[in-house]
Amino acid sequence: MFAFELAAAAKHYGDHRAALAGVDLVVPEGAALGLLGPNGAGKTTALRLLLGFARPTHGAARLRGRDPYDPASRIGVGYLPERLALPGAMTLRRFLRVHAALAGLSGGAAERALEAASETTGVRDRLGERLASLSKGLAQRAGFASALLGDPAVLVLDEPTSGLDPLGVRDARDWIQAARARGATLLVSSHVLSEVERTCDQIVILHEGRVAAGGALDALVQPGESLEDAFVRAVRG
Amino acid sequence: MNARAFAVLAVEAARDALRRRFALVLAILLAISLGWVHTCTGLGGDVSFNERPVDPALLAGFLAPILFSLQALAVLAVAGVLASDHLARPLAEGSAALWLARPVSRGAWAGARLAGALAVALGAGALLLGGTAALLATRHGVALGPAAVAALATALGAGVVAALAAATSLAVGRTAVLLAIAIAVPLQFFANAAGLMLALVQPDASLPGLLAALDRYGPPLGTAVFAATAAWNPHVDVSGALAPAFGRLLLWAGGAVALLLLAFRRTEIGR
Repeated sequence: MFAFELAAAAKHYGDHRAALAGVDLVVPEGAALGLLGPNGAGKTTALRLLLGFARPTHGAARLRGRDPYDPASRIGVGYLPERLALPGAMTLRRFLRVHAALAGLSGGAAERALEAASETTGVRDRLGERLASLSKGLAQRAGFASALLGDPAVLVLDEPTSGLDPLGVRDARDWIQAARARGATLLVSSHVLSEVERTCDQIVILHEGRVAAGGALDALVQPGESLEDAFVRAVRG
Repeated sequence: MNARAFAVLAVEAARDALRRRFALVLAILLAISLGWVHTCTGLGGDVSFNERPVDPALLAGFLAPILFSLQALAVLAVAGVLASDHLARPLAEGSAALWLARPVSRGAWAGARLAGALAVALGAGALLLGGTAALLATRHGVALGPAAVAALATALGAGVVAALAAATSLAVGRTAVLLAIAIAVPLQFFANAAGLMLALVQPDASLPGLLAALDRYGPPLGTAVFAATAAWNPHVDVSGALAPAFGRLLLWAGGAVALLLLAFRRTEIGR
């Protein structure tokens, strides 16, 4: 079973602009895929289709072998969106408790998961604070804590290092690598090529809604070039 | 899983509704409304009309249904206002994506947001209608049974108004939804009142155009409330209108919730 599948997936908006124009993508369980592309390439749209936030205009999307609109497909999925909008009036503890409950955790297991995720992401001493009072970096850490609750089998991270300082970026890399080490499937969409290079082994480069290049990181990056060179070559031809 | 998720999300939605600035406005309006009822029901002594004493039971039978119905109308409006952005706001802000990335169905999330808004509206309604009924009962001796029936009708009507407001908010902005509530809810209520009164005094006549259509086909927001509270007036009997009005209200409530769930299923998240 694949963790993520897009089959000839296209997404058009009202103005007939194609955000995605027939993308094929399969991510096996346990893989770590970096989704790259310039602004407007369709990365976030692809994630939205895979999480059931929108339906493809043509083609199909599947999450863990199911229709992403089926709630069961999202069991064991952790998600960190690009534009993290936390419900500001909630305390971090309540926010994580509700997410733990929605993730199917209850009682002691929920509390242990909450403590572990907040400890890992360095927000344990902020649990009593309202989310609106957190700085951008701390809010991103809180988002990570929510995504990592209960050690999900699948992690979907959209611009995961957004708003983090250099220490936070390094921490985030550690959290992602730890998730990978325990066998989680990763789908990371990012503009920060160096981070993707360090955390993913598979790469797909989207450009104008299509797959411009894809495959194993080692195969995509030719000898003597960096991922940035491969990216530019794929996008500019 | 969905029932548990629904319960967790509904509690959060109710807490969210209570944290809104409108909750403070609502508390102030509640106090003013109850103060107004306190003044109106304080009417005492011998009342005469054209130098003839008016039977206190007749006075109560006239005053009580009007007072109670106006309060019921306020509860309907509150339900609409609370629901007018309770679903649309987290969608616009982006926090909805966080919840919907969990194993939660669209229906459970939309239903929970509606339930949260309704819980606050009905809590306020219980205070308002309960307080009004208590003042009417202690000062004018009216029975509490009709008030309970009318309150139930108001709760059903609030469900209709809230679900329609939430569904509409998925397509248009909040100002448009509030405007629609401000116009449509009182108009529907008035059409129901006019229809019931006309049937009482002139059974062969019919309401003109729009009012007739609203009364016949629209949600009977006022019909069941008027029919129930009319039992306080010994000279009026419209009890026959009660059961059909409840039946129609139930149909409208089911239809409105189904419309909301269908509309939300088609809504794209986080664009």
